[in-house]
Amino acid sequence: MLYSIFRIHNNLFGVPIISILEIVRYSRFYPVMGSPEIIDGLINLRGKVVPVINSGLVLDGEKVTPSDDSRIYIFKNNLELNDALGDGFNSEISSDNIGLHVDSVCNVLHVDKQELQQVPENISHPFYSYVVRKNEEFIIILKPSQILNLDIKPTQNHELKFRYQI
Amino acid sequence: MNSNSDIKFNIYNPVITYEHRAAYDSIVSQLQEIFPICNQGKCKALEVTDDPQKQKQINDLMEKVESFFRWIDRYNKTFFDHLYRAKESSFQSIFHSTAKIKIDMIERNLLERTCDVRWWALEKSFSDCIELSNSQNLKVRNSKTVASKQNLKSVKLSKLISYACTRLEDIRSSYTLYRDLVIVGADGIVIANSNPLSRKKTLGINVSDEEWFKQALKTNNGTEYFAQDFCKSKLESVDSLIYSTAIRSNGDENGSPIGVLGVLFDFQGECQNVLNDYLPQDEHGITLDGWHSFFTNHKGKVICSNNEDLIPIQSTPDLPKNHRFLNAPGDFIFSNVIFCGVRSLIVSHRSEGFDNYPGLGWTSHLVIPVATIFDRSSELSNLDITSKELLGSSLIPETNRQTFQEIQRNKGDIQLISINGIILATDLGKSGKSFMPIFDQITEAGSSTTGKMEFLLSEMSSDMLGQNLKALENLSKQSIELIDRNLFERAADVRWWATDHVFWNSLSKMDSNNYDEASKRLAVINASYTMYRDLILVDSSGNIVANSKMENRKRIKELNISSQTWFKQALQISNSVQYVVQDVGNTNLEDENTSLIYAGAIIDLGQRSGKVIGVLGILFDWNAIATSILECCSPRIHGSLAKGSAAFYLNREHTVIASTDVINFPVGAKLNLPESSVLLKDGASSSGIFNSNGKKYIIGSSRSKGYREYNGLDWTSHVVRSFN
Repeated sequence: MLYSIFRIHNNLFGVPIISILEIVRYSRFYPVMGSPEIIDGLINLRGKVVPVINSGLVLDGEKVTPSDDSRIYIFKNNLELNDALGDGFNSEISSDNIGLHVDSVCNVLHVDKQELQQVPENISHPFYSYVVRKNEEFIIILKPSQILNLDIKPTQNHELKFRYQI
Repeated sequence: MNSNSDIKFNIYNPVITYEHRAAYDSIVSQLQEIFPICNQGKCKALEVTDDPQKQKQINDLMEKVESFFRWIDRYNKTFFDHLYRAKESSFQSIFHSTAKIKIDMIERNLLERTCDVRWWALEKSFSDCIELSNSQNLKVRNSKTVASKQNLKSVKLSKLISYACTRLEDIRSSYTLYRDLVIVGADGIVIANSNPLSRKKTLGINVSDEEWFKQALKTNNGTEYFAQDFCKSKLESVDSLIYSTAIRSNGDENGSPIGVLGVLFDFQGECQNVLNDYLPQDEHGITLDGWHSFFTNHKGKVICSNNEDLIPIQSTPDLPKNHRFLNAPGDFIFSNVIFCGVRSLIVSHRSEGFDNYPGLGWTSHLVIPVATIFDRSSELSNLDITSKELLGSSLIPETNRQTFQEIQRNKGDIQLISINGIILATDLGKSGKSFMPIFDQITEAGSSTTGKMEFLLSEMSSDMLGQNLKALENLSKQSIELIDRNLFERAADVRWWATDHVFWNSLSKMDSNNYDEASKRLAVINASYTMYRDLILVDSSGNIVANSKMENRKRIKELNISSQTWFKQALQISNSVQYVVQDVGNTNLEDENTSLIYAGAIIDLGQRSGKVIGVLGILFDWNAIATSILECCSPRIHGSLAKGSAAFYLNREHTVIASTDVINFPVGAKLNLPESSVLLKDGASSSGIFNSNGKKYIIGSSRSKGYREYNGLDWTSHVVRSFN
């Protein structure tokens, strides 16, 4: 299976290619008053309004700041995902297209099933699904559905709650 | 971006290296492959999906890919031009400053000669000698007797001539850069000289037809002089550079001219040092082939050269005319021509003189083999700087910095295009798999071509760093040499002045009239020179009895300086060739923060050795002179001071004693420079990178080695340039 690999605060993460609609450069976020802190703002993707989540704030509370290398992963909505998966598959990711703001994009990797290892318990995290070792580096495979479906409330102390049990 | 017709360093230019041509060819061949692949991608889109939206998305991606590679193709054509121009331009700036400093060093030296000759001409023993000699000649002419040498040498005249010769010898032993000094009577006959070896031959020579003699007699007062450009003189077998002025009746600067003092500067000897400096040498100290340095005069003729076999004196050098005849002082020009069979960069800079010495319209030429401009710098990997940091720094020309940024941006774009292509292909299921090799190839070609360009840029930036480090090394060397040369003159001045009859006479008689006379004499000296704040005469008890500046007199006459180290050391001097110097520091003699004092002993009866009856102290205008030298040796880009640059001197305790940047490197601050910058051998230079107050600098450093009889004070000079 193909994964797109990216960096957040010098750590490598991956998401399945099939879940991605497109990757775009950071240009400008349109801030929305009262929106949760983890939302960087809205972007305009060829007429579609897409909210963008700051991956740094979601994962370790340290914001990813916009730079020349910053990229935004636009994830497919449920319809687009199932369309891509084809007949007989039914998977859920998010009802809307949502963006994830990351530090930089690295490459595309083909990872065999047997290379996917369970995340060690002591570093387990609700958004981590597997860990993959490539050469001397470790890549954490994320669960986009978890990140994109955060039960986020428009509060200043953005207390994270998860819709799904782990 | 330049149009094609502007391309100077296209890939067919012979100076482009084999490696760079190979890189160019490799980029071109990858581009030739990529366009058919894009076409193939568009065709495949029609094959694998009927969805017009998906077809359009693939087509759009392919067009973006084509557009990106078209940019690479276009840029590749001018890329090498930008790289080579950047190196050439940086080289030109560096070597222009070297050509300028070489002629500057000579002009500064000659300014001192103009001061010297004017002051020495006021020596009483010279005017006494000439007055008697002239009157003897008159008597001989009136009696219409044929003058024989024996008749002229009356006992008194003989004594005066002998004393004048001794005084001239004393000057020459203090100021070792003269071949000879001569005193000439009004009739043009040389009556005294400084060089005992040539005395027999020189005395009696008639120079009445020589320009330096005739013009000197026409000077109006003691402030005027005549500089004779290179010419033949009966006094020497080699070409002479002579500075002359009139000796006036009674040694008075406003007296009527009674004779002439001519000083013959050892120009050839002095030039050999200056010309060979800053040229690369092999392990035996021989200047490398193809590197030349020479000066031409206002007629475009060579007056000195580092290689007289190839560029003989008095020849017309094989240079374009506009190099030999630059219009105005300060003008400079670069050309790329064949010189002595080698394709060379030639830099010519016409002298502006120095201070109030206008110079003689000379031009300094520097010849550098073009191939060396594009040589790779030696390994700089031990320096604490990344390639990316360097490419973003102010050392790199704006064009190349922009190229680097554009490449970075485009590299990011092509990566995005490829990944988005893979996302699209994945959506197409099995049929989309055929797109994978296409996008793999696009990714590969994109990163390979931009990677090559990035590598070439980083190679260029590292070469430019190397060039800049060498330039700062040279500038620091120039600045320490200029101050050493200047202070040599001060050491010579103080020794010579200390022998003046007015000073030993006033200290022997110890009365106020004589002290007033001494003050007047000091004032006359100081008026001939621009670099002294004051000159003071101190008796053996440490009381200041005379000084040159009226405005300081009241204050300093109340001082007793018997406890000051320089004074105590000067009292220990046993002969007139010795002097002492007090390193830059604070003193109650002045209101300034920094004083630099030279002192010589006044010996009883003006003898060469004997009882010390007082001390002559000279207060050098340290801040003004040192800062002006440092400013002149600061890095420049196309004539303007490089932003974020500074130059400063450190004393042996590594404390700043003069600085062009009083905010970042203030006087009095103790700097923590890298050991490689301060722990240098005498005369050695180094360069490197250092951090100060959160800023990163490149630094060139040199340690003093003194100059001639002046040993230096263990100072180091540093020229820095900020990265940001």
